[in-house]
Amino acid sequence: MKKVININFQGTIVPIEESSYELLQQYIESLRLYFANEEGRDEIINDIESRISELFQERLKSGSTCITDDDVNAIIKNMGRPADFEEAEKGENTDSNDEKSDNSKKEKSESFQGNWNWKGKRLYRDENNKVLGGVCSGIAAYFGIDPVIVRILFLISGIGILAYILLWLFVPGSNMLENGARKRLYRNPDGKIIGGVCSGIGSYFDINPWLPRFIFLIPFISFFFRWGHFGPLTFPNFLSFSFSPGSFIVYIILWLVIPEAITTSEKLEMKGEKVDMNSIKNSVLKEMKEVGERMGKMGQEMGEHVGKMGMEAGNFAKEKTANFNKEVYTSTHRTSGILGKIITTIFKIVMYFILGCIALAVIIALFSIVIMAIGLFPLKDFVLTDGWQSMFAWGTLLFFIAVPVIGIITFIIRRFAHVKRSNKLMRYSFIGLWIIGIVCFISLIVSIGRDFKSSSSGNIEYIPLSDPNVKRLEVMPLNNNNYSRMNNWFRLEPFATFGMDNDTAFISNFRIRIKKSATDSFQVSEISWCNGRTRRDADTLAALINFNISQNDSLLMMDRAIAINTTDKFRNQYVEVTIAVPVGHYIKINKNFDRRSHVKFPWVWNDNYWYYDDNDEYFEFRSGVLYIMKEDGLYTIDGERSDRRNEGGNNSKRKRTDINDNNYRYTPNSKIDSLKAEQEKQIQKMQAALDSAKDAREKELNKLKDSLNRAKEEINKKIEKLNKGTAWYDNSSRSDFSEKFSFMSYI
Amino acid sequence: MNIDNTASQMRKGVLEFCILSIIKLGEAYPSDIIDMMKAANLNILEGTLYPLLTRLKNAEFLTYRWVESNSGPPRKYFSLTEKGAKFYKELETTWLELAGAVETITSKNNQLNNHKPE
Repeated sequence: MKKVININFQGTIVPIEESSYELLQQYIESLRLYFANEEGRDEIINDIESRISELFQERLKSGSTCITDDDVNAIIKNMGRPADFEEAEKGENTDSNDEKSDNSKKEKSESFQGNWNWKGKRLYRDENNKVLGGVCSGIAAYFGIDPVIVRILFLISGIGILAYILLWLFVPGSNMLENGARKRLYRNPDGKIIGGVCSGIGSYFDINPWLPRFIFLIPFISFFFRWGHFGPLTFPNFLSFSFSPGSFIVYIILWLVIPEAITTSEKLEMKGEKVDMNSIKNSVLKEMKEVGERMGKMGQEMGEHVGKMGMEAGNFAKEKTANFNKEVYTSTHRTSGILGKIITTIFKIVMYFILGCIALAVIIALFSIVIMAIGLFPLKDFVLTDGWQSMFAWGTLLFFIAVPVIGIITFIIRRFAHVKRSNKLMRYSFIGLWIIGIVCFISLIVSIGRDFKSSSSGNIEYIPLSDPNVKRLEVMPLNNNNYSRMNNWFRLEPFATFGMDNDTAFISNFRIRIKKSATDSFQVSEISWCNGRTRRDADTLAALINFNISQNDSLLMMDRAIAINTTDKFRNQYVEVTIAVPVGHYIKINKNFDRRSHVKFPWVWNDNYWYYDDNDEYFEFRSGVLYIMKEDGLYTIDGERSDRRNEGGNNSKRKRTDINDNNYRYTPNSKIDSLKAEQEKQIQKMQAALDSAKDAREKELNKLKDSLNRAKEEINKKIEKLNKGTAWYDNSSRSDFSEKFSFMSYI
Repeated sequence: MNIDNTASQMRKGVLEFCILSIIKLGEAYPSDIIDMMKAANLNILEGTLYPLLTRLKNAEFLTYRWVESNSGPPRKYFSLTEKGAKFYKELETTWLELAGAVETITSKNNQLNNHKPE
């Protein structure tokens, strides 16, 4: 059973089966393409159509009720397909009247001369439906699928680009490709829930539309179950379906890219009826390609001119030379054609390569912005207050960041998929949403800025030390499980140490400063800074900062981070620890206190440049090095000053005298200088030796003291052990720890 | 170089001459031309005839007039122009020369071949 439609064909009404009509349309379109460069193209097509119409009439007169597939096929067989014309035209001489059109046609057909077989399936590049080189549409035609799908696959896979270029180079092109029964991917307006994407996919793959719907929904369901849980595994996999914004964005992009099936023929295409693919021909030629073609044509015309000149010359020399000239003519012609083609191809490849690189860079940049934004988003609870700020943050993420990203990606894919439907409405809504995004972004910044406006007064808090007269002090991290894993997960560079739990973030916003003590005992003080809406707010928040410092014999146990929770929020909390070291005492900052970058919002209009006015001198130091405090500064046990600047000055001086040493004949003064320097060096050395001897003695003393301490501790421990059996484990581990430490430091 | 290619090239060369010759007999409709050629055992595809006719017409060798038809749309009947007649004459002489030359050469060849077995 077949549907019969009436068509007006060359002025007569023809009842024809729908499938036959499509066959006919396809055939005529292929002819139109074949004669595209012919001067009288429309006339030829018209003549052929009239003839076909006449044949139809004959058929109808002989008693048929309508035109069937067989009729059309018989007529096509008589008329011949373009491929058959190829066969007939092959080797046609070039000196007919319409050389130009003939030649260009020939050039085009060159690529599939030879073993072109209409019936057999071969992989060609489809030059009718191409976007770049026709590779994707050729593959689509070969497998009978939608070129959009092949293109998206090529775009997504990284090696696609290389494979594309290789295929472009090796697969012959053809403008004769006719696509048989083939489906196209459309959005289905009849079965839609949101945009009809899923039901369109369903009808394309012949599956229940609920299957794609479910696949799209899985991440949403899981997202709501695991709200706020951004593990290290789920976060970067932007496109993976374990991350629901990914599937959301994929859906939106598909929505925008896939055309909606509106007309009946589109709906038929969607369901996989046989369609005339050539009618959906792309007409948008990229400017670059045109330029390339023009270059090729120029080459051709040049060749023609040379050839024509040869012809003229040949006319003078009459018969004998005429043949020779003709040969020259044809040969120059051929070479110029090939040359033009090569130039065109190279030009094309280079241009597309550059364009591709730019497009790729843009896409990567956009994706990284999105990933960055999404990666930082879980931190918002620590910064933003609920209500308006939170809303602005969502608005910023969705409209200010996501909208342009989706817009640009959509634009690129639409270019690739050749969607030509006017999208004025879409463009305006994109711009509108983005403006909303800008408003959100500005409001967010202003609102946050106000929260950071004032800074706290910064009161000094002295830490009571259990034994301030200890000979040496080493700063050790508090053994706290909370941020032992801090180092190995969140390391986004500007936020170098942002350890995070579900409701607590750890930031390493602290600094250790060393100064000379005025007394002969250690002194540790702490200043907490904070920002807030008002000074009072900032002060209350600063008071909430809990930064633990405690002394345990020669160890100063200290937190390595400030804990921030979601109720108190992050307001540039910052702790400054000052250790005053008495002269002749030792100080060492553990390696774990390597300086890390601080997390800070530097707003232009807030006065958060923490500044504490005192006249003390603070010394530079490195972590993991033992220093001794002397009258004039901080020194290592090797006798070098802790701040390299002075040392560097000495070095350069020494170097200068060394150079002068080499040329002493010419500058006698330098000899004296060098002698002086030598003397200084000698003195320094002696001083160092003295120092080290002193150090050694002190060390010895320290050791004795420590071992005494340890003995004391052990006794204490034993007493404690006897007293409290339960607390035993804790203490022993701690003393083990300190033992290990002192052992190491003395070796 | 295969036989089909060479043969089609040969046919190609004389195609225009044949078409013009048929039209010279009197006004002709494309399907008449096809039929006559078929009768003379020179098979060409109808699809290739139309572009050829259009080209010849554009070169002003042919002209046509519309004739109403009782079966289907009006038909184009082609006839030779003066220029076309001249062109035909030239082609005719060329053809006769060529045919004569080919005849002489191939007949000699045939004679040789015929003598060989003896």
